[in-house]
Amino acid sequence: MSTSKAAPAVSAHSVVEPSPRTKRIAGALVILYALITLVPLVWIFLTSIKSPPDSISYPPKILFTPSLEGYCNLFTTRTRQTPDYIAALPPPSGVCDAVTRERNMVIAGPSNFLPRFANSLIIAFGSTFLAVSLGTLAAYGFSRFKVPLADDLLFFILSTRMMPPIAVAIPIYLMYRQLGLSDTALGMMLLYTAVNVSLAVWLLKGFIDEIPREYEEAAMIDGYTRLQAFFKVVLPQATTGIAATAIFCLIFAWNEYAFASLLTSGSAQTAPPFIPTIIGEGGQDWPAVAAGTTIFLVPILVFTILLRKQLLRGITFGAVRK
Amino acid sequence: MTASHDTFSDKMADAAIRATPEPLAARVRGLSDRAIAWLFIAPTIVLLLAINIFPLFWAIYLSFTNFRANRPNAVVQNVGLGNYSRILNDPDIWASMQTTAHFVFWTIVLQTLIGFTLAYLIDRKFRGHAFWTTLILIPMMLSPAVVGNFWRFLYEPQIGLFAYAVSFVSGIPTSDIQMLGNVHLAPWAIIIVDTWMWTPYVMLICLAGLRSIPDYIYEAAEVDRASPWRQFWSITVPMALPFIMLAVLFRGIENFKMFDMVNLLTGGGPGSTTEVASIALKRDAFEAWATGRSSAFAIVLFVAVFGLANIYVKALNKVKQR
Amino acid sequence: MTDHTLIPGKSRRPFFLRRGPMEMLAVALIALGFLMLFQPFALVLYTYSFITLLAGTLMFTIVSKFPE
Repeated sequence: MSTSKAAPAVSAHSVVEPSPRTKRIAGALVILYALITLVPLVWIFLTSIKSPPDSISYPPKILFTPSLEGYCNLFTTRTRQTPDYIAALPPPSGVCDAVTRERNMVIAGPSNFLPRFANSLIIAFGSTFLAVSLGTLAAYGFSRFKVPLADDLLFFILSTRMMPPIAVAIPIYLMYRQLGLSDTALGMMLLYTAVNVSLAVWLLKGFIDEIPREYEEAAMIDGYTRLQAFFKVVLPQATTGIAATAIFCLIFAWNEYAFASLLTSGSAQTAPPFIPTIIGEGGQDWPAVAAGTTIFLVPILVFTILLRKQLLRGITFGAVRK
Repeated sequence: MTASHDTFSDKMADAAIRATPEPLAARVRGLSDRAIAWLFIAPTIVLLLAINIFPLFWAIYLSFTNFRANRPNAVVQNVGLGNYSRILNDPDIWASMQTTAHFVFWTIVLQTLIGFTLAYLIDRKFRGHAFWTTLILIPMMLSPAVVGNFWRFLYEPQIGLFAYAVSFVSGIPTSDIQMLGNVHLAPWAIIIVDTWMWTPYVMLICLAGLRSIPDYIYEAAEVDRASPWRQFWSITVPMALPFIMLAVLFRGIENFKMFDMVNLLTGGGPGSTTEVASIALKRDAFEAWATGRSSAFAIVLFVAVFGLANIYVKALNKVKQR
Repeated sequence: MTDHTLIPGKSRRPFFLRRGPMEMLAVALIALGFLMLFQPFALVLYTYSFITLLAGTLMFTIVSKFPE
């Protein structure tokens, strides 16, 4: 009796397979949210190709003539000159030269953006390499062997990531001052490695747990030692996991601001603390800031899209595998 | 590993040892599993001891002294529990804890509500939901510092897009929408950026929770003619609760120690209305240079985070079993 | 001795030596510590929040070693 009556109810409002109308409403709401949430990002890009007067006009301009001034200002430092001086110069040698002269200025030299960007690259890639290497070894150790106090060690490793950065920065600041590591790329690399290795161990342990032990055991029967089996059997199997872990570590090190702003000031400064300090003549040069932000964000956008299937694993330290 | 494998590989190793000269023999036999386990795990532990645990103990030692990092040669005196007593009786630091509480509470409420709703809508599996989900996820991967810095531009009362959009909808003049300058609005300015950035995080974990609920439970409920409302409250919410808890705990830990976004958006101002704990700590440690006192403050924050981290790992293990 | 190992601890162990209830108690203590840390009403509660949090966290670390 109940089945014959329940059958139409299932098709009417089944949670398992929603009705087309429900789907349409859900879709419309999600798309609306997605569009609103992307406005700030679109605005960053639009601002980066505006001229400074367009960027600060009221009401905010959506239609405007694109300009490369933001990008030019990002990479150069400029000095103001008299119109006579500029008129006497040879013809401009490039786009930026011409754009700068329209503002009665000449390019004085390169800005600090490229060196800061290079610092970001060196520190992010260096620390990722170290963290993933150490993390892979440790994860294999935890995955395959009975380690005494394994749970406590794993918790200890994870808890180091949870520490408040400012609380850690106080003693690190003193320690680096003693060791001569303040404001060096090596110091930042070691620090980011320490923060990232916890994520790497937890994520990679999940990935290595999924590789059947039988593979290594078969290889060891064939005469491989444990180490050979690790390098020739386990590592190739774990490539996807290692790549995903590496991207997560890379994004963290790339985005990090708290340590960078407190422990670096000059030669080892990375892009995140540098970009907010880009100023023009009348305060913050927003098109240049937006240009720097755009260049800084593009790699992350690409990585996010590459990683989308692994994101959930990454943000739950490997606990939720879907 | 079974006993037969052991004896077999032992035989292999013995044969190899007899055939090779002495120093090579040790390598062929390979390291014992126990040795490999420690060899693999030790580098990670050593790094964390050096970069995280040693500084932590140093901070604990400093928290009992009156050391000042800008006067390294002054006589360091033991002040016992004096620093803790000052920190825990200081009305300003107490106020910074309430500011933190306000921030943590509202970001969690908003992110959980919006995040869960979005996850529920996406789980209706409308056409193209994977694509829109990826787009929604983008903000959480970006650098809170670099993007937070750009939000200062969006919040500008005259030229900013946010003020313009709000005044366009509500009719309030843009000059009254001083998101970062008004004492009452500034805390909400930070909450909005954090919610914009981290709602996708909560959404993604909630989505995993919703997808972990097997279809047959809903089918059984349909057979029992439970209303959709009833199904939602007695199946969907309780079954997704461990996942929601996981997201809430992690966002709670992260926002309790929030530094970068607040530092760039308001720097704690106007006045001290947005001075969350990390900003207060930074001012004490790196502007007032009261290293001993700020170390005590750091330990207080650390113990709080460590307590939450314990609960978080418990929640992780709970979700892992699903 | 055999008796003790064969029967799961539940009936034998008093509740203050079992993991489940003690962990809940530690979690409650940590939560109470946070409430005291965050509340805007009395400075004295804020003063004692740290010791409450410390006690809860230490307790959690210790009782998580107890058998289920």
